Amino acid sequence: MSDGAADEQVVMAVDDTRCIGGGQCELLAPDVFEVDDDTGIAAVTAPGLLDRVTALELLDRCPSGAISFAQPAP
Amino acid sequence: MSTGAGNGAALAPRSPDVTSSSVYADGVPYDRFAEMRATPGLVWHPYGEDGFWAVTRHEEIRLVSRQPEIYSSAVGHTNLWDLEADALEARRSLIDTDAPDHTRLRRLVARAFTPKNIRRWEHTVRSITGQLLDEFIDAGEGDWVESVAAPLPIRVILTLLGVPVEDSAYLVELSNHLVEGTTDRPTLAADAYGNTTDPRLLPFNSPASHALFTYGEQLGDQRRAEPQDDLVTMLVQAADDGDRLRPEEYRNLFHILVFAGNETTRTAITHGVMALADHPEQWQRVLDDRSLVEPAVEEILRWSTPVLHMRRTTTGPTELAGTAIEGGQKVVMWYASGNRDEAVFDDPTAFDVGRVDNPHQAFGGGGPHLCLGAFLARLELIVLLQEMADRGLRLRRTGDAVRVPSNFVNGVLSVPMAVVA
Repeated sequence: MSDGAADEQVVMAVDDTRCIGGGQCELLAPDVFEVDDDTGIAAVTAPGLLDRVTALELLDRCPSGAISFAQPAP
Repeated sequence: MSTGAGNGAALAPRSPDVTSSSVYADGVPYDRFAEMRATPGLVWHPYGEDGFWAVTRHEEIRLVSRQPEIYSSAVGHTNLWDLEADALEARRSLIDTDAPDHTRLRRLVARAFTPKNIRRWEHTVRSITGQLLDEFIDAGEGDWVESVAAPLPIRVILTLLGVPVEDSAYLVELSNHLVEGTTDRPTLAADAYGNTTDPRLLPFNSPASHALFTYGEQLGDQRRAEPQDDLVTMLVQAADDGDRLRPEEYRNLFHILVFAGNETTRTAITHGVMALADHPEQWQRVLDDRSLVEPAVEEILRWSTPVLHMRRTTTGPTELAGTAIEGGQKVVMWYASGNRDEAVFDDPTAFDVGRVDNPHQAFGGGGPHLCLGAFLARLELIVLLQEMADRGLRLRRTGDAVRVPSNFVNGVLSVPMAVVA
C-alpha cells in the first residue's frame, strides 16, 4: 500500500469555530494536538507537523470536521 | 403529506416490524435488518401516519452522521417518534441540537471527557470495579445487572459529576424508570416524585425526569455555595457566566450525563459478559493473552450496540444511496444493523475477541454527535475485563435475560449468572 509518501510531513490546522473538543486528535497525535482544559477546544502545538498517513486517518476520525491540512511542510 | 414511498423504494415492514418495541423483548430483529441492508437504495418504512427512510448499512450511517447540515438533529426529534414543538423545546439537550448551540453545549463538557482527562479516573474505576467483582464472587451467583453492570457505571459517572455515591441507588432507580419511558409499558403515575409538569414535556415522558431535574438543581445550588473540583461545579459556573448555559440547558445536560453515562455502559457490560459466558473459548483467549483485552472491548461494543437507533430530519431535498429524499423527512440510522454489515465486518454474526478491523458504530457513525462518553465507556470496559481476568473469573448463565422492550435502547433488565468454580 505504501506509495513512498508515508513519511511526508504535513502541517495541521484546527478550525476553532467547528471544534467540539472530541479529543480524537489528542489521542492519535498527542505531540501535535492538545484540547484546552478551559475552552474545550483543540489547538495545534507548534509546529504542528504530522506524517501524512496519521493525518489522513485523523481527518476521517475528527467528529466535527475541524481538522485540515494548513499547508504542506517545507 | 405524500412520502417518498412512491419513487420505487422498497416498502417495509415485512415481519417483524423493526419499530415495534415488543419485538425487542425477544431480541434485536437482526434477520430483518439483514434483508433491509440487502435491499438496494434506502427502505421506506411506514410509521404512524407517515414513515421514515431506514438507513441500515454502515456506509450510509457514516454519511448521514457526518453531514449535520443536511441531516439535522434539531428538527422534530432524534427518536423515531415526533415531539410537539413545546415538548421538543423543553426537552432539548446536547443530542437534539445542531451547531452553533450544539458546539457551545458540547464544549462545556467535552474537556472532562477527553482521553487525557478520562485516564485520570482509571484508579477510581478500578477500585469500584474490584469491589463489585469481589462482592459478586463472594456471593457466588446473582443478577449480573443488579450486582455489577448497573452499579459500576452509575458510581463512576456520579463520581465524575460530584454526586455523593450514597445516592447511586436512587439515581439507578430513576434511570430504570427513564428506560421504561422508552417502552410501551410505563408504570409511573404522572404525579410520581411530586411531579406537576405535563409528562409530555419531560425527557422519556417520565416523571422520573422531574425527579432527576430536581436532584440536579439541588446539587447545583450546593456546588454554587461550596464549589468542588467536579463536573457539576464546572457546569453551574458556566451557567452563572451569563450566556454560556441557560437554566433549562443545565438541567437537561445534567439529565443526559446521568442517563447516558450509566444506561448505555450498563448495557455494554451486560451483553459483553453474556457473550463471554456464552462463548467461553473467547474468554479463554483473553485470559491467555491480555493484549486481547482492548480488541475484546471493541468487539463487545459492536456486539452490544447499546443505542439501537438515532434519527435525523432532512433540512432540504437530498439523495442517499441513489434514493431521493425530500426535505423534512425522517432518516433513521440503525446502528445495530450497521454493526452487522457484512460489507464491513468479516463474519459479522461471530463474536470474535480478536477481530482486527472493527470500525463499529456503537458510538455512532462519527460526526459531531459522536458519543461524548466513548473514552469513559472504553475505560470502564477495559478495566472490567482486566479485573475479571486478574481474578480468573469465569461466569455462566443460570437463566434467561429479561430484555427491555424498546426499539431505542438494547437494554437488559436482569440476567442470572453464577461463578464457575
